[in-house]
Amino acid sequence: MNAPERTAAFLLDDGEEKVEYYADTKVSNAGTFTFNKEDHTVGNLLRMQLLRDPQVKFAGYMHPHPLVHKIHLKIQTNTSQVAPAETLSAAIEDLSNETDHLITQVTDAIDKWKKENVSGMIGM
Amino acid sequence: MPQQRFPKVEVLSIAPHAISFILSETDTSMANALRRIMIAEVPTIAIDLVEYAENSSVLNDEYIAHRLGLIPIRYTPEGSMKGGDCHQAFVPHRECLCYDRCARCSVEFELDVNFDKVNQTRPDQERDLPLTVTSRDLMSNNILVAPAHFLSEEEQDESHDEGISIVKLGPGQHLKLKAIARMGISKEHSKWCPVAVATYRFWPIITINEEACNMLTLEQKQELVEACPDRILALDEITNNLVAVENAYEMATFTEDLKMAQEAMKKRPEDEDFVSVVHSTDRFVFSVESTGAMDAEEILLSALRVLKDRLNYLAAEVEKLKD
Ligand SMILES: [Zn+2]
Repeated sequence: MNAPERTAAFLLDDGEEKVEYYADTKVSNAGTFTFNKEDHTVGNLLRMQLLRDPQVKFAGYMHPHPLVHKIHLKIQTNTSQVAPAETLSAAIEDLSNETDHLITQVTDAIDKWKKENVSGMIGM
Repeated sequence: MPQQRFPKVEVLSIAPHAISFILSETDTSMANALRRIMIAEVPTIAIDLVEYAENSSVLNDEYIAHRLGLIPIRYTPEGSMKGGDCHQAFVPHRECLCYDRCARCSVEFELDVNFDKVNQTRPDQERDLPLTVTSRDLMSNNILVAPAHFLSEEEQDESHDEGISIVKLGPGQHLKLKAIARMGISKEHSKWCPVAVATYRFWPIITINEEACNMLTLEQKQELVEACPDRILALDEITNNLVAVENAYEMATFTEDLKMAQEAMKKRPEDEDFVSVVHSTDRFVFSVESTGAMDAEEILLSALRVLKDRLNYLAAEVEKLKD
């Protein structure tokens, strides 16, 4: 009777925004992004990519509870010249390019393996 | 300042139902994202709704509906023999514009098995024996979509049944239903999961300190070889030096005994290790097995497409935040 909706883990609720931002009131150049209906898949990916950015002083994420389908990602940058949102955009772009690169790598690797191992086989 | 990486992929083996490959020059966050997406976010087709006309079998309606849901359903694009990515061919039913359902968002399967009717046409030695209703009895209204009865011909040859068994019927029993399959992801229900196995392990870095090993006797070297439950080390036939075997990466999982054995051989505890085995942080050996709903290589490519789409969506949402 009180079971959560089957779609609760991946469909946004009515009026819910995908990403929210709360600037930190105590720490300068810092803020928390909330990604609704996301989990460790995206959380850890973004955190690790942000940590590779020399302009980022702090990046950490948390998933408050297994039944709360959101992650909080906190970012602090080195200077007021760079907003947390800028570093986040850059991180997402880098990951998107990395994924593009992976798609070509996988396609090429599969073709290469098939050329070497199943020459002449039909339908593969 | 871009911090982009350029990972490398090397395929070890491909079969229709399994793929094994090495992902390198990236980190665990990418390896794990890929694994998690293959398990939970690659869309497939599964039976989601069942309408019964007649069920006089021993199993109740809900039980049969559950069993039908778990049957892997395969979408084969036109002109292909592979279990392909259904993402381009179907619309998620919640996003479809139709009133109830249509060919864009669902596939209908009809099943009608009547024991008494089938019994008349059976060979004498099978007559009156229980009749197994299998995935072969599901008739699809879309020629590109069908249940994946078996993973391979070997599996088919070993099976007692014609397909995946659903229920057994006895004299007088009749099962008639319409099953509606839809596209979904296994975050909603694990029946939409395309993989039976999706794992990665860290590449082992096996370093052999030749200088230190020269101090060991042949017996001691042999002892180190035998310390590993899976033989990741061997003695070179000519030089008698310790070497790592070629496929050590498949076996190097437990190396504690190796550590203990060499501690005992050291003259002083602070001496260097003879052999060290540590895991790489940027090289991963993936192993993916399909349920039959998609070809394994398609699962991998589909997972990457899902990740790509997600990142582009998030990029746009973060951009909106800036105004
Ligand atoms: Zn529709």
